[in-house]
Amino acid sequence: MSAKKKLSQTMLYAVLGFVAVYTVFPIYFLFVNSFKSQKEIVASPIALPGSWNLKYLKSAAEQINLLPSVANTLIITVISVALIVLISAVTAWMMVRYKSKGSSFLFLAFTAAMLVPFQSVMYPLVSLMENLGLKNMGGLILMYCGFGLSMTVFLYHGFFKGIPIALEEAAVIDGANIFQMFFKIVFPMVKPITVTAIITNAMWIWNDYLLPFLIIGNNDKKTLTLSLYYAKSLSGQYGNPWELIFPAVLICAVPILVVFIFLQKNIIEGIAAGAVKG
Amino acid sequence: MENYYKRWFRILVIPAVILFVLVILAPFVMGVTYSFTAWRGSYFKGSEHWWGALVGIGNYLKVFRSQKFLSALVYTLKFTLVAVIMKNIVSLGLAMMVKKVERGKGFFRTVYFFPNLLGGLAMGFVWSFIFQNIFSLILFGEESALHIPFLCDMLQDSNKAVFAMAIMATWQSAGYMLLIYLNGLNNIPEDLYEAASIDGASPWQRFRHITMPMLMPAFTIVFFLTLSGSFKMLDENLALTSGNFGTRMLSLQILLSTRETTPANYGMAQAQAVIFFILIAVISIAQVIVTKRKEIEA
Repeated sequence: MSAKKKLSQTMLYAVLGFVAVYTVFPIYFLFVNSFKSQKEIVASPIALPGSWNLKYLKSAAEQINLLPSVANTLIITVISVALIVLISAVTAWMMVRYKSKGSSFLFLAFTAAMLVPFQSVMYPLVSLMENLGLKNMGGLILMYCGFGLSMTVFLYHGFFKGIPIALEEAAVIDGANIFQMFFKIVFPMVKPITVTAIITNAMWIWNDYLLPFLIIGNNDKKTLTLSLYYAKSLSGQYGNPWELIFPAVLICAVPILVVFIFLQKNIIEGIAAGAVKG
Repeated sequence: MENYYKRWFRILVIPAVILFVLVILAPFVMGVTYSFTAWRGSYFKGSEHWWGALVGIGNYLKVFRSQKFLSALVYTLKFTLVAVIMKNIVSLGLAMMVKKVERGKGFFRTVYFFPNLLGGLAMGFVWSFIFQNIFSLILFGEESALHIPFLCDMLQDSNKAVFAMAIMATWQSAGYMLLIYLNGLNNIPEDLYEAASIDGASPWQRFRHITMPMLMPAFTIVFFLTLSGSFKMLDENLALTSGNFGTRMLSLQILLSTRETTPANYGMAQAQAVIFFILIAVISIAQVIVTKRKEIEA
């Protein structure tokens, strides 16, 4: 390696390393301040805590009603994502395989729906759901499905176009029914997009604040983000209760960090694959 | 096979169609209709049905005379401009550097990406502390080695808050955009650069005439994502400033609009929501058309 090249590599690493530290810094900061008292946080926000006291995490867990909140969020996220993936994959597959005016119109409708921001339909949507008796967790799941669908159908649609039909023809000749065909042949072939779809939808639904706020509000079926919001706004009348906020945010972030650490390779590749197709 | 798929098409697309109609189409049509009525959320003023409460374009006229709406609109445009530029420069710059390093590409991609996974509201609380205490007191305050007044008390000033929110939004999403740019960069054949070097092209010329045109498809996607993402941003706005000090963006304005009058004027809030949709649709479509055209030219 020439001296010049070595120098430029060193500089690249210096810059990238600095940005990496900067990127991780808020997380470090979140972590160390989750073990400090309000006084200690304000006095020395960057230092390691004087003692690793779990008391603040415990009281934050109580305030955000940890177990029920996690359970609610998990149920909503898992069911919504499973439905979004399944319905989108089937729909996109059918739209690619059966070409007609109706099918292209449907695809166009889903594509156009990506332009509709949630805020522009939220009031009538909530009112409609209320009239249908769906202002609850079930309704919330339906709404996530409706909003997740358009983007996910679009992703699968791009991918199915590149998959030859021959295997499916062979399966029909061999006497497979449509469900066997889908689950045994078609669905496994689009696995990269399925990974992307699961990650992007799960990320958004897990962290979402607005939809649960409008549908569930301040009752006992709160999601994690919603509990955090209410915990902060209820105790924050006299300045910010940092000794509650930091541990509560940490608790909300930990499940995501754990999943990310185990699946980071899939996640990064899945996002990259989706970006190219999208 | 054609008939086989045709038969199943009719059955298998039903769930998607029902969801689409229930969650998007019906509320959209209702929303546009109600924006022309005296809608109060759970009832219509002076009538049992929406057609009895029509007020023409009254709500829209009110919206365009509303100081709160206009300032939220201007503020959203300002923020979008700053955030789109910041996100693109940072993510493209980092992508070009990550591509050049010999080892550790995966490590950098992973580290930069992960803030994406964390919630905007939750991390917004943490960033509000960073701006208030770390930036203002420790790093850039009056008593620190490097005193930068612009980076102090950013959340209490409407102009500075644009940058504060953009800094946080960039921290969160640059890693995602980086993945898209990196993918684009990896698809550019090396020999193009070699040929240009032999012809004596400068680094800037290589960037301008090879990298930029070859990256156009990536630009289309990243611009689409950053534009609409910034224009729609809510959680970070709520967590960092709650819209105080003249920092309210359109999403928050639509959300708060029904809480600021009694009785809540949902008709007027919905008129703002419809305008919001039109703006975002026009901006996104115009952007995709422009960048797509560049893709073809390139």
